[in-house]
Amino acid sequence: MSAVLEKPLATTGTTPKELEREPLVLNQRSLGWISDRIAGVCENALPKWWWPAFLISFTVMSMMFICIAYLISTGVGVWGLNNPVGWAWDITNFVFWIGIGHAGTLISAVLFLLRQKWRTSINRSAEAMTLFAVACAGIFPMIHVGRIWLAWWLFPLPNANSIWPQFRSPLLWDVFAVSTYGTVSLLFWYTGLVPDLATMRDRAKTKIRKFLYGLGALGWTGSNRHWSNYEKAYLLLAGLSTPLVLSVHSIVSFDFAVSQVPGWHTTIFPPYFVAGAIFSGFGMVLTLMIPLRTLCKLEEIITVRHVSLMGKVILATGSIVGYAYGMEFFIAWYGGNPYELAAFKNRAFGPYWWSYWIMVTCNVVTPHLFWFKKIRENMVIVFIISIFVNIGMWFERFVIIVTSLHRDYLPSSWGYFSPTWVDICTFIGSFGLFCTLFLLFIRFLPAIAISEVKGVTPQADPHHNLGGAKGGAHH
Amino acid sequence: MKTIPPPCPEPDNGVKYFRSLEQLSDTPEFQDWASREFPAGASELKDETTRRHFVKIMSASFALAGLGILGAGCRRPEEKIYPFARQPEGYVHGVPQYFATSMPVRGLAVPLLVKSDDGRPTKIEGNATHPDSNGGTDTFAQASVLSLYDADRAQRFTQKGTNANREAAFDFLSGVAKQFSANQGDGLCFLMERSPSPSRARVQGLIKQKFPKARWFIYEPVDFDVQREAATLAAGKPVAPYFKPDAAKVILSLDCDFIGGEEDSHRMIRGFAKGRKISKPGDTMNRLYVVETLMSQTGMNADHRLRVATSQVIAIAAAIAAKISPLLAGLAAKFPLPAGVKPEWIAECAKDLQANPGASLVLAGYRQPLAVHLLANALNGALQNNGKTVEFQEAASSEGSLAQLAELLNGGQVDTLVVLGGNPVYNAPVDLDWAKSQRKAKTVVRLAYYEDETFAACDWHLPAAHYLESWGDARTSDGTLVPVQPLIEPLFGGLTEIEVLARIGGLDATKPHDIARETFKAIAGTDLFEEKWKKFLHDGFLAGSAAKPVEVGAGTNLAALAAATAVEAPSKDKLEVVFTRDYSVDDGRYHNNGWLQELPDPITKMTWDNAVLVSRKTAGELGLKNNQTIKINVGGRSIEAPVWVQPGLADYTLALPLGYGRERSGRIGNFKGGSVGFNAYPLRTSTAMHFASGAKVSVTGATHQFSCTQDHWSMEGRPIIREANLAQFNAHPKFAKNMDMDATANDAFIPKNPDGTPHNIYKHPYESNPALKSQTHQWGMSVDLNSCVGCSACMVACQSENNIPIVGKEQVGKGREMHWIRIDRYYTGLAELEKDKNPLVADDQQQFEKWIDDPQVVTQPMMCQHCESAPCESVCPVNATVHDEEGLNVMAYNRCVGTRYCSNNCAWKVRRFNFFDYNKRPLENLYAGPMATRKNDEWELLKLVKNPDVTVRMRGVMEKCSFCLQRIEQAKISQKVKAGASGDVEVPDGTIKTACQQACPAEAIVFGNILDKKSRVSQLKEQSRDYAVLGFLDTRPRLTYLARVRNPNPAMPDYRELPNSLDEYINKAKNMDPLVEPPKPGAANGKKKGAH
Repeated sequence: MSAVLEKPLATTGTTPKELEREPLVLNQRSLGWISDRIAGVCENALPKWWWPAFLISFTVMSMMFICIAYLISTGVGVWGLNNPVGWAWDITNFVFWIGIGHAGTLISAVLFLLRQKWRTSINRSAEAMTLFAVACAGIFPMIHVGRIWLAWWLFPLPNANSIWPQFRSPLLWDVFAVSTYGTVSLLFWYTGLVPDLATMRDRAKTKIRKFLYGLGALGWTGSNRHWSNYEKAYLLLAGLSTPLVLSVHSIVSFDFAVSQVPGWHTTIFPPYFVAGAIFSGFGMVLTLMIPLRTLCKLEEIITVRHVSLMGKVILATGSIVGYAYGMEFFIAWYGGNPYELAAFKNRAFGPYWWSYWIMVTCNVVTPHLFWFKKIRENMVIVFIISIFVNIGMWFERFVIIVTSLHRDYLPSSWGYFSPTWVDICTFIGSFGLFCTLFLLFIRFLPAIAISEVKGVTPQADPHHNLGGAKGGAHH
Repeated sequence: MKTIPPPCPEPDNGVKYFRSLEQLSDTPEFQDWASREFPAGASELKDETTRRHFVKIMSASFALAGLGILGAGCRRPEEKIYPFARQPEGYVHGVPQYFATSMPVRGLAVPLLVKSDDGRPTKIEGNATHPDSNGGTDTFAQASVLSLYDADRAQRFTQKGTNANREAAFDFLSGVAKQFSANQGDGLCFLMERSPSPSRARVQGLIKQKFPKARWFIYEPVDFDVQREAATLAAGKPVAPYFKPDAAKVILSLDCDFIGGEEDSHRMIRGFAKGRKISKPGDTMNRLYVVETLMSQTGMNADHRLRVATSQVIAIAAAIAAKISPLLAGLAAKFPLPAGVKPEWIAECAKDLQANPGASLVLAGYRQPLAVHLLANALNGALQNNGKTVEFQEAASSEGSLAQLAELLNGGQVDTLVVLGGNPVYNAPVDLDWAKSQRKAKTVVRLAYYEDETFAACDWHLPAAHYLESWGDARTSDGTLVPVQPLIEPLFGGLTEIEVLARIGGLDATKPHDIARETFKAIAGTDLFEEKWKKFLHDGFLAGSAAKPVEVGAGTNLAALAAATAVEAPSKDKLEVVFTRDYSVDDGRYHNNGWLQELPDPITKMTWDNAVLVSRKTAGELGLKNNQTIKINVGGRSIEAPVWVQPGLADYTLALPLGYGRERSGRIGNFKGGSVGFNAYPLRTSTAMHFASGAKVSVTGATHQFSCTQDHWSMEGRPIIREANLAQFNAHPKFAKNMDMDATANDAFIPKNPDGTPHNIYKHPYESNPALKSQTHQWGMSVDLNSCVGCSACMVACQSENNIPIVGKEQVGKGREMHWIRIDRYYTGLAELEKDKNPLVADDQQQFEKWIDDPQVVTQPMMCQHCESAPCESVCPVNATVHDEEGLNVMAYNRCVGTRYCSNNCAWKVRRFNFFDYNKRPLENLYAGPMATRKNDEWELLKLVKNPDVTVRMRGVMEKCSFCLQRIEQAKISQKVKAGASGDVEVPDGTIKTACQQACPAEAIVFGNILDKKSRVSQLKEQSRDYAVLGFLDTRPRLTYLARVRNPNPAMPDYRELPNSLDEYINKAKNMDPLVEPPKPGAANGKKKGAH
C-alpha cells in the first residue's frame, strides 16, 4: 500500500491530509471529561430509573431462590423432567448463560491481543456480564442434581473412602472448565479495574468511599513501575484467557458430543458451540449496552460505531452457526446412520418443530439484516435483533437437548417434555440475578475502563495537538 | 436364588437309634474332640503372639466397656423386649424361609412358594415342584402380597356399621346355628364365590345335612364356569375340561384369551410357550389361529388373527365346524358369515385343524355363549382331541345363580343371608338392583376383605383373612390337592370362609386348621397321617392327587345347539358393547392394589385407568378421538366414560373393561378422593352378561387424561424386535444377526484388523486389564421373544423383589414410572397401509392413521442390558454406576448424586430416576415435599412388604435392574459355604433365578453364567437367533434376545411372506438386505428375499 501511495505523493509534491479513523470517543472530548462522565455514573445522584429497575430485578431474583428452595426441599420432580428427557431447561439454561459469558472474555482478551482498540469502551461491562452470566450458569448444574447436598462429590476432594470423581465424565470436565473460566475471568476483570479503582478513590468525597475504593485499588499510585507491572499482568492474563474462550464451550459441548445420543454425538459440536457462544455473548452485550449508553448518557463513549462493529461480529458468528446447522443435517444424511438422520428429521419436523424453526429464524435469518449499515446503526432495530439472538440461542440449546432426548433409539421410550411453573420461574429468576448484579455493578464500579478509553483517544498521544495536558484538561 | 425347598426332614418326634458305637463316634465333631488335648479354644492360645493378642484385645474391650458405662454409650430401649427363650426350629435370623402354600382364585388355585423374612411374607413365587407347574405365576399372584399389607383392609367386626366385639360376632354366628337347627335351615341363604377348596365343599356338605332347606348360591362377575357347563352338556355327565396346549400343534381360539384373561392363564402360557420353543432350523412349532373382537394377549401372539364382533364369533365357529364335522354341516346356514370374512380363511383354517387330528385344540372364551362352547366341544371331539389335548375331569354341578337369589329375596323368603366374599352391590347385574334386594333379607352377615360398596348393605360385617393368613386347602386345575397355609398370624384378626361356615353350621370343629386336616385325612387316608400331612405342607401338594381323566365321547349336543340363534352384526347405529375382565384389576377385586393399578395393561399400556376401547374406523365414523368422554346408552341405561382408540379392535364394538370406578375402594382405588377409572357394571344385565347389542354413543364434551407408559406405537422400521416366518428362519437361520447395522453383509465401512475382525480403537477394559475379570462367574441373560407373550408377571415380580415404589397416575403420565423391567409393545401395520405413515407424527395423532387397523403385535421385555462397555458408566461424574468383576453394571445408590446423565446416555432408557420420595411421601401429595407424610397405619404396613435384602432408594437417586444382585450374592455365599476347602465356588447352573425369570410362566427369561459353556444361558446365546438390541453401538450387552419366529400358514389368505415388522424394516433400510446370508466361499451372494 505504501508503494502505491509514495509515487503520486512525490510527483505532486503536496501532502494530502492524513485520513483519520473515526474517533472512538466522539466530539474530541478531553480526558478529564471522560473521567467525569464515567465516574459520574457512580458518583452523581441516582438516576430515576435505577431504583425501580433494581427492585424489579431483585424481586425476580428472589423468585428464583424461592423456586430453588422448593426444588431442594421437594425433589427434582417439581420440574417437568421425565424418563427420556433427563435434562431440559436446567442444562439449557446452563449452556445459555455460559455462552453469554463468552463475549466478555473474547472482547477483553482476544480483541486485546489483536489490538482492536474499540474494545475499550465495552470490555469492562462485557467482563462484568461474563462474571454474572457464569454465576447464573453455575447455579443450574448445581441445583439440577437429585441430591444437591452431595453435589460437592463432583470435586476431587480427598476422602476416607478414597473415592474419586470419574475423570472420564464430561460433567466433571465441566466442573473444572467452568470454575477455571470463572476464576480467570474474575482475575482479569479485577486486574483491569485496579487503575480505575484508584481513580475512584482519588475522586471520592466521603471517607467510606475512599477507604473501600482504596482497598480495591491496592495502593495504586500510577507510577511508571505500577503501569509497567500492570500492563505485563494484563497481557499475561489476556494470553491465559484466550484459550479459555475456546476451551470452556468446547468442554460444555462435550457433555453432548461425548454421549451416544443421536443428535448429541456429533464432532462438529466444539467449534459450533464456541461460535454460538460468541454469537449469543455479543447479542447479550448489545442488549445491555444499548440501554446503558442512553440511560447513563455514554453515547459519546459507546458510539454507534461500536454497536455497528458488534453487529458485524454477530453477522459473522451467526453465519457460522447457520453453516453448522446445515452441516449437521448434511452429516446426518451423509453419515448413513438411520438413528441420527431420524433425530435430525425429528428436530425439524417432529413434535418440537416449532422450537427448531424459532431457532433458525432468530439465529440464521435475523442476523443477516446486519449486512445493511443502516440497520447496524439503528439502535432500536439492533436492540430488537439482539433480543432475537438471545431467544434464538436459548432455543438452540433447548432444541439440542430436549428434541434429541425425547425421541432416541427405542420408540417405546419416546416421550414429551413440558415445563412446569418452577422451570419457568427459575429461568426468569436467573435474569433477575443477572440484572441485580449488573445494576449494582454500574452503580458502584466504573462501567467503562476509564484508563483504557483514555489510552485510545488521540489526545492520549503526547504528540497530538490536543495531547497530554494540552487543552486545559485536568484529571 | 432358586427356591426349591430342602428335602423333607425326618420326623423329629421319635427315638434316634444308632447301630454301633463306631457309627456314633464317626462324626467329625467326635473325631475332632477326641484328637484334642485341650477343649476347643484353649489350645489356640499356645502361640506366644496369639496369647499376647488375646490380652491386648481383652484389655481394650474392658476399657471400652468402662467408657460405655461412664459415658452415655449404653442406649437400652425402655420398653421390655424378650429374646427367644427357645429359637424356633430352622430359624436363622436374616435368612429368609420359604413355605409352600397356594393362592385360591375362583375355582382354581395357584401353587406357591412364599418367601418369609423374619415372619413376614414378602415375595410370592410359584411352586416349581408342583407336578403341574414350572414355578411361573401370573400378575395377580405376584401382587397379592401387597394386598396382605393393604391399610384399607377390613380390620374390624361391625354390627350395622358400628364396631363390634369379636366374641359378639361369634355369639351371633352360633345364634344363627341354633336358630336354624329348629327349622332345618329354612330361610337361610348362602351367597359365595367359586372356591377350589375341598374343605369348603366338605363343610358345605355337613351343613347341608344339618340344614337341608338352606339354599346355596354362587356369583362371580367374571365366571369361567361355562366351560364346565358346556362340557357337561356335551358329554352327558358332570365333567370339566382340562386343556393341554403343549400337546397341540394347531390351536384355534374362538374369542378365548387363554394366555391372558382366561382362567389359569399362567399354566396355559406355559403350555403354549412350550410349543413355540425352537432351537434350530427344522424344529417345529405350534400355530395359533385367533378369532376375536378385542385385541387380547392371545391375539397379540396369533399367527393368524381374524377380528369379528363378539356376537359374530359363532358364525365363524359354525362355519369351521361345518367343514370339519358332517354332523354340523347344516349349522352354518343359520349363521351368515360377517361381512369381510374371507371363506378361504375358514376353509384353510379348518383344513389345518383337520390335518392335525389329536394334536389340535379348539378353545372358546368365557364371553361367548354356550353354543360356541358346545361347538368347540364338538370340534375337539371330531378332531379326536379328547383325551389328548383336552382331558375331562369329574366336576360337581354348580349352585344357584344370583338371579335366583334375587328372586327369593324379593319374595321375602330369606331370613338370614350369608355373603362370603364378593362385592355384589358393586358388581351384580344392574337389573337385579342388588343394593335394594340384599336389604330385603332380615339379617345379612358378610365376610369380606374390604369395607366396600356392599358393606353398607350388611348387618354383620366380618373381616376376612388373606390367604397368606389362612389355613385351608385347594385344588389346582389338574386336580392336585394343595394346602393353603398361613405364613403370618392374621394381621387384623380376619376369619376364613370355612371357619365362618363351620360356626354358622354349628360344627364341632371350627378351627380352619383342624377342618383342613380333617379333609386331608379323608383324601389321603389315615395311615401314616402325620407324615403325610407334614410332607403335604412341606411340599405344597399331595403327590398323585391329580384328577383321573374321564373318558367322554365325541360329544356333539345337537339339541342344545339347535337353540342357538344368530345375532345381527353391529353397525354404526347399533353398536355392540363387550364387557371384559381387566388385566390389572380383574373384576374389581384388585382395585386397591397399587402394583396392579400401576402395571401397564399388556395391550394398551395404560395405567390407573380403563377406557372404552374402539377401533379407528368406528371412532372415525362416530367422530370420536382419544381422551374424549362419551355417553354410552344401552337398553335405556347409560354411563359416561373416556375413549381410547385401540389398534386391531373389531369395528362397531365398544370394549368396556370391568372392575374400575369403585366408589368405596381405598387409598389407591379412591386416589385423591376420586375413583380410578369408570364403572362399566351399570350397563351389564343378567341377560347380557358379556356383550350387548344396540348401543348408542354421544360425545359429552368433557375430556379425560390417560397415563400410558408407552406413547409411541410403531417400531419405525428399526430392527429392535426381529422376527421372521418359520420358513424363512429355516432358510436363513442367522437372519437376526444379519439385521445388525454392522452385520457381516454390511460391514464394509468398519475398519478391520489384519485377521478380519472389527478393529476397535478402544480396548475393552477386560482385555486391557484381565485382572478385572472374574474367571469364575460372568453373568448373562437371554430372553426368548418367541416365548414371551407379554403377560407382565415379570414386572410385578420385579417390583415386589426390588422394593420398587409406585408413583401414581399423574407421575406415570409425566413419564416417571419406576419399573425396572418393562414390556415394550409395538404394532406393525400392513406394508400397503404403512406407505403414508409419517414417523414424525405426534403420538396423539397415531390414532387417526390407517396402518393401525390390522396390526401385528410384538412384545419385548426390556431391562438393563448390562453392557460390558456401558455408556452410563463413563458419563457418571461420581463413579456411582460402575462395573463389577462378574460383568454386572452395578449402581451404588449411596454414591449417586442424581445428575441423570447416565439415563440420558442409555440407549435403552432402562434407568429410572426417583424424582420424588415415592416411598416416604403420600402419592397424592408428592408436590408438598416434606410438608406431607404418609399416614402412620399405611407407613407401618408398607414397610412390612419390603424385601430386606434390597435397599429402599430415596429421592434424587437413579436406579435400575441389577439382575437381582441380592439373589446372586445369596447363591454365591451359600455355594462358598458348601464348597468349604474344596474351592468349588462356582454356582451350579440353574441355582440363581432372577425374580423376572422365576415368575415367567413361559420360561422366556434365562439367566446364568456365560463362562460356563454348558449353562442354559450359554447354550441359548449360541443359537442362531441370538442378537443384541442396538448391538451396533458396540456396548456388548450381556442381555441378548432370541429373535421371534412366526408360524403362519402359507395357504391362508392373510399369509404374509414376511412379518409386517420385517417388511417395514426392509422398506426403510433400502441398502440392506437382512435376509442375506453372510457371504460363503463359492456361494452366490444374491438377494434371497422371499425366495422360497
